[in-house]
Amino acid sequence: MDEPIRVMIVDDHPMWRDAVERDLAAAGLKVVAVAANGSEALARFPATRPQVIVLDLQIPAPNGVEVTAEVVRQDPSARILILSASGEQQDVLDAVKAGATGYLVKSASKEELIDAVHRVARGDTVFTPGLAGLVLGEYRRMLDGGGNDDRPRLTERETEVLRLVAKGLSYKQIADRLVLSHRTVQNHVQNTLRKLQLHNRVELTRYAIEQGLDEE
Amino acid sequence: MQDRLFRALVWLRVVLIVNAVTLNIYRYDNFHHPYLGTGIVAVMVVWTVFATWAYAAPSRRVPALLCADLLITLAALISSPLVKGETFNASVPGFWVAAALIAWAIHWQFVGGLVAAALVSACDLLIRDGVSQTNYGNVFLLMIAAPIVGYLCGSLQRMAAERAAAEHAAAVEQERARLARAVHDGVLQVLALVQRKGAEIGGEGAELGRLAGDQEQALRSLIRQQDALVEETVAAETDLVAELEKLGTRRPPRVQVATPGEAIRLPAHVTSELTDAVKACLDNVARHVGEEAPAWVLLEDMGGSVIVTVRDEGPGIPEGRLDSASSEGRLGVSASIKGRLEDLGGRADLFTAPDQGVEWELSVPSGRPLASGP
Repeated sequence: MDEPIRVMIVDDHPMWRDAVERDLAAAGLKVVAVAANGSEALARFPATRPQVIVLDLQIPAPNGVEVTAEVVRQDPSARILILSASGEQQDVLDAVKAGATGYLVKSASKEELIDAVHRVARGDTVFTPGLAGLVLGEYRRMLDGGGNDDRPRLTERETEVLRLVAKGLSYKQIADRLVLSHRTVQNHVQNTLRKLQLHNRVELTRYAIEQGLDEE
Repeated sequence: MQDRLFRALVWLRVVLIVNAVTLNIYRYDNFHHPYLGTGIVAVMVVWTVFATWAYAAPSRRVPALLCADLLITLAALISSPLVKGETFNASVPGFWVAAALIAWAIHWQFVGGLVAAALVSACDLLIRDGVSQTNYGNVFLLMIAAPIVGYLCGSLQRMAAERAAAEHAAAVEQERARLARAVHDGVLQVLALVQRKGAEIGGEGAELGRLAGDQEQALRSLIRQQDALVEETVAAETDLVAELEKLGTRRPPRVQVATPGEAIRLPAHVTSELTDAVKACLDNVARHVGEEAPAWVLLEDMGGSVIVTVRDEGPGIPEGRLDSASSEGRLGVSASIKGRLEDLGGRADLFTAPDQGVEWELSVPSGRPLASGP
């Protein structure tokens, strides 16, 4: 068997941290670090090199979105699974744009959580129907917004797949319905996120350059 | 607010004293007793300087100061016949009396203005040997203007107090919302944890977990609705996103709602009809698939239209059942859903196959421009 997946848990609620840690450890995963806030998370990340970070968005500063952005900047191969209670939509969308590749609500079962960590570690994306709806909305807003022509756009197939995720179908159900392989469905979902994240990075870079030029 | 009014009064005092001194120098020849006259003008100047200092601090604005201010003004006024003789025309302080009047009007508002004006007017009339048309006109204006200034000062101060109270309330509300978010988050965490642990314990624990799960869903949906509430401005339009999010709290069936995340404003009747149609679809799921059956609602903003999809994973409707139902005259639920949507200028489509569940697609024109992209 492969090396166990190295996980860091970031959550300001001790009982949650403990519960998640116990569950993941019982499932054979290796919890290399826990953190109660953003600064602890960023301090422990380089020292412990987790493959997956199970991250609560509502943590003392820097918040989950900022932690996501910084971790991905330091190590693009790190995977972030958002485990959020509040489901504050804009935060979830921001975290995903910053580079998180998975999102679960905290009411998800132990099995769902463990499965999600495994999938995120493999490089898969883990979506809830709610997140798929938000991402679809974000693409439509960018299309409506006018302006730059380098805005990312979904292919017809990607839109189709994302809509089915938003309607609550599992990847397997989508694969059956569209007569595709499970892997292809997975790739389509991943692409929708990757384009969004890439666009976000480009926008941030452009913003930084504009700010820099303005100063001169 | 009083501070600002008294600061403005300082400038008025300066103008009034300069005016009074100038006029008295100009009419110096009118003085029957030049030393007394000069002495009174000097007292007025000194008092103006003192009053400017005294009124500057709220703590010094005691009734004694205001009374002294008015008494000195009245004394200067009453001295006029002594200085200028019985048949004088212009009083020594002249318009300078306005300074004390307005101080009373600012401090004691309508009543203060009225009382001070009455005293000044009474003195002015008493010291004259005869009341001319001009004297009467001055007194009349004084009696009208001073209470009005007092009333306005009162209104200004009340408005300032109200605005301060409103700002305070808004700040409190914001802080309350911030605290509520923190508390909500904590409650959500606990509910989610109970739900998770309950399922592992089984038995009664599972029941508790299920209850906690329902409440978690309800609270989550409530928070989203509150977020949407902030943008509620035009009463004729309502936010379809907020209305559909409410369905997430609904049991049965177990509903998951996915939306674009930003408000979609539609005429109120469109929102409510569409929401009712979605509820009818969900009622159908509860009846035909089961009370614990999962259902999904997806809302999409297509630019020129909105599409709501309601999906379940039940046994579906066998081919021909709908047709036979409608040909037998039993129009039932699906006809009512289609009717609702047609009334809104939209359409409702039903997709189903045995063991594939039922999927309703409800689309309504939103009257908004289409996506501008090519």
